[in-house]
Amino acid sequence: MRFERMKPFDIVIVGGGGAGLYAAMEAMKTNPSLNIAVLSKVYPNRSHTSAAQGGANAALANKAKDDTVEMHIFDTIKGSDYLADQDAVDVLCSEAPKIIRELDNIGTPWSRMDDNTIAQRPFGGAGRPRCCYCSDKTGHTILQTLYEQCLKKGVIFFNEYFALSLSVKGSRSRGLIAMNMKSGKVEAFPAKTVIFATGGYAKMYWNRSSNAAGNTGDGQAIAYRAGIPMKDMEFVQFHPTGLRKSGLLVTEGARGEGGYLINRDGERFMARYAKEKMELGPRDLVSRSLETEILEGRGFDSPAGKYLHLDLTHLGADLIKSRLPQIREMSMQFEGIDPIVEPIPVRPTAHYSMGGIDTDNFTRTVMEGVYAAGECGCVSVHGANRLGGNSLLDILVFGRIAGHTAAQEAGKFEPGTISEAELTAQYDDIRSFMHSSGHYERYGELREELGQTLGTNVGIFREASLLKKGIQDVAELKERFKKVRVFDTSDVFNTNLMQVLELRNMLDLAETVATGAYAREESRGSHTRTDFPVRDDAKWHKHTLSTQVNGRVALGEKPVTMGRYELQERTY
Amino acid sequence: MTVPTDQHKELKKDVTFRIFRFNPQVDSKPYFDDYTIPVERGITVLRSLNYIKEHIDASISFRAFCQAGICGSCGMRINSLSQLACTTQVWDVLSKSKEHGVIKVEPLRNLPLIKDLIVDMDPLVGKMKHYSNWVDSTMPEASMGKKEFLISEQEFLRYDKATDCILCASCVSECSILRVNKEYVSPAVLLKSFRMNVDSRDAIHEQRLAELVKDHGVWDCTHCYRCQETCVKSIPIMDAIHGIREDAIESRGMKDTSGSKHAEAFMSDIEKKGKLVEATLPIRTNGVLWTLQNLLPMAVKMIIKRRTPPPPPLVKSAKGIKIFREMFREMTEHVKQDHKSHKK
Ligand SMILES: Cc1cc2nc3c(=O)[nH]c(=O)nc-3n(C[C@H](O)[C@H](O)[C@H](O)COP(=O)(O)OP(=O)(O)OC[C@H]3O[C@@H](n4cnc5c(N)ncnc54)[C@H](O)[C@@H]3O)c2cc1C
Ligand code: SF4
Ligand code: SF4
Ligand code: FES
Repeated sequence: MRFERMKPFDIVIVGGGGAGLYAAMEAMKTNPSLNIAVLSKVYPNRSHTSAAQGGANAALANKAKDDTVEMHIFDTIKGSDYLADQDAVDVLCSEAPKIIRELDNIGTPWSRMDDNTIAQRPFGGAGRPRCCYCSDKTGHTILQTLYEQCLKKGVIFFNEYFALSLSVKGSRSRGLIAMNMKSGKVEAFPAKTVIFATGGYAKMYWNRSSNAAGNTGDGQAIAYRAGIPMKDMEFVQFHPTGLRKSGLLVTEGARGEGGYLINRDGERFMARYAKEKMELGPRDLVSRSLETEILEGRGFDSPAGKYLHLDLTHLGADLIKSRLPQIREMSMQFEGIDPIVEPIPVRPTAHYSMGGIDTDNFTRTVMEGVYAAGECGCVSVHGANRLGGNSLLDILVFGRIAGHTAAQEAGKFEPGTISEAELTAQYDDIRSFMHSSGHYERYGELREELGQTLGTNVGIFREASLLKKGIQDVAELKERFKKVRVFDTSDVFNTNLMQVLELRNMLDLAETVATGAYAREESRGSHTRTDFPVRDDAKWHKHTLSTQVNGRVALGEKPVTMGRYELQERTY
Repeated sequence: MTVPTDQHKELKKDVTFRIFRFNPQVDSKPYFDDYTIPVERGITVLRSLNYIKEHIDASISFRAFCQAGICGSCGMRINSLSQLACTTQVWDVLSKSKEHGVIKVEPLRNLPLIKDLIVDMDPLVGKMKHYSNWVDSTMPEASMGKKEFLISEQEFLRYDKATDCILCASCVSECSILRVNKEYVSPAVLLKSFRMNVDSRDAIHEQRLAELVKDHGVWDCTHCYRCQETCVKSIPIMDAIHGIREDAIESRGMKDTSGSKHAEAFMSDIEKKGKLVEATLPIRTNGVLWTLQNLLPMAVKMIIKRRTPPPPPLVKSAKGIKIFREMFREMTEHVKQDHKSHKK
């Protein structure tokens, strides 16, 4: 048997990261009698949420007594360069204290302050120290806690299942089709509702990315091919401090604790770009500052490329060991450098995808019964630029809303049936890459080239001619992909096949990123056009929608919800 | 500045990766394949495996995700030691290779093999469930989200290290008891259980403990320290194991009949063999005084299921043994008293 069928589910959650697990937990809480499944291509505790080191924002006012939700809202809207929907930001920030406390109540090991309350620290772009953390393993401990709670609640997990497609009938989804990695079988998950929580797509920048190998935007690509629009895909955040060689991230926590950014002249160059906030300016600004220093010849040279210094040496061994142990370990393992004695070599790295599946404030997509949350969705609370510590918050708050909404709405829908023919078509599709005739391209090369062209042409500094080249390159890579070959023909745990399918997803999404970036003739947040250096509110204060029509991307737009703060120039 | 010529020569080395292969669909038994590639300094084992997969043999199967030592996917045995491929430098392990220029890569042990370097993690997840490896909150669900628990830095520090665990199963792969008894709780699960037990927010400490003292539980551990030596996050797993045992004795006393049997076994072991198999290890690790103050009272009350003991450690300090023997005699008396009073 090449196929397997499940009995229908009320909710199928695709993704076991912070968003997916919170959704599962909340759905079980909302209605314990529901039949809920969580599918994940890796064991949930391996999800990329575990990589988040810095923390999650909430105006608990434990550290700065005068902090308020309103200030958090303002910082987020300003940080987004006014592209965030203000009602959604309201939800995000108002729910924040509740969600952080709830996590505490179920066992998250938050670091503590002297008065035994949850510890908070300063983070980029925030007016008050409101980032709650657990040393530098915040995401890891949140993910562990959620996984533990889901095990406690008896959530049904389908681990190491790779989602392939939505089964669609008219305007409705009938459920999900996925491949069981252990057996290679294609399995049908008929479902009343489906929640996508598959994380981000920043890995399309490949070696110039801080992301896990699997952050390939699978859920977005599946939704996109099913006709669901993507929103604001051109907004990709570059983190200022990736390790020079691997792109792996040195968290903002390092700067929050007092680290300096230094160029080859020994200057704390941030004084030139953000006089007041210095190293703690918002991410996009700091990334651009580093890139400018490098482009203007003030970076250090090395075979692995130009870089700058993140200097922690003045913080002292004790502080580094107690507050930033993971950063120290990583610097030693991946750069061979001990930050206690030497500065860390860094350069900007693609880090976070602001764009994603277009949803409303209840995480609903345009397709009935299909929801999206976490980095995979775009409500939008981050607009053109996400603040550090707001993403963990986003996945928790909207993961929970997704679980709640799906649990309440599941009753409205009938589960569909997924036909044998559909499964056969899926199976034949994925096996077709294994045919020897006409298939010879190597996925490793295509992946590398994709990262290269995106980094160069759709990177931090963008410009019409570069972007055109980027679009063209992606189109060519898509053509070549048709001839890609899966050399491993086995059924059991075929990681070769999985990586090829991930590449297909990245290629589909790369087209939306490059096309959106080319169209947006302004500079806003993470999107910097050297040929259109200023924000153009008259023409571009709106979201970009990208929809797949006849295999090509078609752009549309959507207004930004205002209501709280009027447009202002964004300065720090 | 010019680089000395001998360093030039050393920029790349030819390294042979001897990789364990097994595809259940076609192979009746496992075998090894050799792949030789040039590797420069600074390259990890995972990057080498990726290179081989992309350029030489796409069918080699292994797990990897974060590539940054944080997700726990890439645990495997490299030159017979379980560790993470993504944080292990090729040149480092090369210097310890038995066969010159060869690095042997095998799947983790003590978990069912799926394919090549991939093992099944489900049994471990099953044990996490069995031992309730979660905080069962003292706060009712309806009140959650309204206010935070007040927790001292001191309490936080008690479980801080334990929450570093990334469930990579390296310790599981090296555990000496798991080699003979697959049902044994496992070091990572003991660690997690301990972490939950010392959390003041948790309400089911007793229940968890009751499960931990049963067969295949905490008393089965031989204190061989393999898990702690292996841990990729340098977590003091033995502290957790001692912690659970201490806790069990304190809150359950000698009520467990099996417990007292173990105690007798332990004592006669020492008397007969004259060897302080288990207790000397902490002496070696922590020093004599520390052991006397912290461990001995418990060690003697304690209770070790009789199993083939690990190779006796070489304790050089005669002074240590002497002090230990005196303490041991004293404690034996104490335990006997204790025992009697419990029986009454
Ligand atoms: C290095 C790093 C540091 C960060 N630090 C911070 C920080 O300090 N603060 C902050 O707020 N944010 C931070 N972020 C961002 C934040 O961690 C992420 O945005 C967030 O964790 C995403 O969570 P998620 O639940 O949406 O997705 P993920 O945690 O990425 O989970 C995605 C899930 O989907 C599953 N999946 C994907 N594709 C498929 C498929 N085809 N089939 C089945 N399952 C699939 C995966 O298995 C996984 O379980 C950081 C990000 C990185 C990369
Ligand atoms: S000390 Fe105990 S748990 Fe650790 S490896 Fe030895 S027997 Fe296993
Ligand atoms: S205790 Fe250490 S070795 Fe064992 S699973 Fe956890 S991190 Fe890995
Ligand atoms: S790949 Fe995540 S720990 Fe090695």
